[in-house]
Amino acid sequence: MTDAQRRWLPIPVFAAILILWEAGVRHSGHVTLYPYPTGVTQAAIRTIRDGSLLAATLGSLHRVLLGFGIGALLGIPLGLLMALVPALNRAMSPIVDSLRSIAPIAWIPMALLWLGIRGNAALFIVAYAAFFPFVLNTIEAARQIDRKLIDAAAALGAGPALILRGVILPGSLPIVLTGARISLAFAWGSIIAAELAMGIKVSSGGSAAVGLGQLMVSTLYIRRDVNGLVLYMIVIGLISWAIDALMRRLQRALTPWR
Amino acid sequence: MAIDMPAKIEGRGLCKTYVSARTGEKIQALNNVSFVIGVNEFVSIVGPSGCGKSTLLSLVAGFAAPTSGEVLVDGVTVTAPDPQRGVMFQDYALFPWRTVLGNVEFGPMARGVGVAERRAIARRHIEMVGLAGFENRFPHELSGGMRQRCALARLLANEPEVWLMDEPLAAVDLQTRNILQDELLRLWGDDADPASRRAVMFVTHGIDEAVYLSDRVIVMGRRPGQVKEVVRIDLPRPRRSLRSSVGAGRFVEHIWGLIRDEAARAIVEEAR
Repeated sequence: MTDAQRRWLPIPVFAAILILWEAGVRHSGHVTLYPYPTGVTQAAIRTIRDGSLLAATLGSLHRVLLGFGIGALLGIPLGLLMALVPALNRAMSPIVDSLRSIAPIAWIPMALLWLGIRGNAALFIVAYAAFFPFVLNTIEAARQIDRKLIDAAAALGAGPALILRGVILPGSLPIVLTGARISLAFAWGSIIAAELAMGIKVSSGGSAAVGLGQLMVSTLYIRRDVNGLVLYMIVIGLISWAIDALMRRLQRALTPWR
Repeated sequence: MAIDMPAKIEGRGLCKTYVSARTGEKIQALNNVSFVIGVNEFVSIVGPSGCGKSTLLSLVAGFAAPTSGEVLVDGVTVTAPDPQRGVMFQDYALFPWRTVLGNVEFGPMARGVGVAERRAIARRHIEMVGLAGFENRFPHELSGGMRQRCALARLLANEPEVWLMDEPLAAVDLQTRNILQDELLRLWGDDADPASRRAVMFVTHGIDEAVYLSDRVIVMGRRPGQVKEVVRIDLPRPRRSLRSSVGAGRFVEHIWGLIRDEAARAIVEEAR
């Protein structure tokens, strides 16, 4: 087999799977229970035309980025303080450790109770999910900085403020950004879960800012459209992939010395 | 040992004990170390592994405090790092996120020099060490010898009165080391007016290097670290033509004789 053949090999295999899949579902006669390729394509065309797919995607993304920002804004300073002030680290790390072992989605019922279904509950879950990776990675980032770099800065005349700004912050950045990638992936996973839970309540008579999770619930219970569900799964996967690719690019742009 | 110029750095009865992070046992790194370095004098510290020579340098830099004794610079006790005492580290300790220019201008920036002026200072020193054209490279884009030059330019940009150098040439190959030794001598003022020279404390493993560069060599012993002997290298300056002179060989042999047995023991004991 030549290199070119090897490279294009996945395409006929993928096409064959799609054809077998389509034929199998049609043959079974259960087209409302099992999704199939042309049905997913139709769902895509319909939801792109009526704008519901874009609106839901933007709704979810908006909340993820907002929650991610809140997680960063609270998590990075706390991580830095814990890394730099040993007493604070001893005081806080048992609390941080016990809270982070509670999965973010376990907070969903409480968040719904306190914050309702209008989007703030999902925001809380996402911020919570993003917060802990930021704290832990920032602690790790600040601790791994070579002591000699701090000594070098001090010997060049740097005071504590310049050591923080000129050594500890840039020295932490690569690992903090790695943490940000994990946080964002984690946050995206959590928003879907939170929206699914909220969507169940919406479908039984409430209303909320619509995200992909809510759309999935209404597609399941109201429209009973399995092809739509698969479409949303694909969109969720594509966005995960795009977020990670974007974060990698951002990481390269912000830390050119790596 | 008396010196024929005013003292710049003085160590008085320095002891340093620390707890090993690996074994938890107390280690006496320095025991009652006293020494003097004159205002225009190049002094090397040599000794086997574990003789505390790097510890001694970090006390003079102000990175650590002695358990007892004190370091005086211009008669004032050292309590913290100071830009008047420039430090060059064994593994360069360049800021990886700063370019060559950014590294060299860090000192002037820390001292509050404005942007235009500190750029000019940095460029002048980058040129002085032969790195012109590499201003915008990051340290990881430089060879070992170039990183060393960058570290030297960073030290010089603050125009410190004291140069503290911790095995600065240990990580480069032999030929690069010879070239950098000559450049270091030139920048220090080997062939210039002795009054223009700075006080240098140069920690090294290399006995040849110490003899070639120094006015005096402080030979240290280990376990605990202590001064064994101070050897005056009364070879004429400039030294550049003397790299393999018979005169230098005599000092190298003498110093090696002082260190050899302990260095051999250190090989075995370091592994424990």
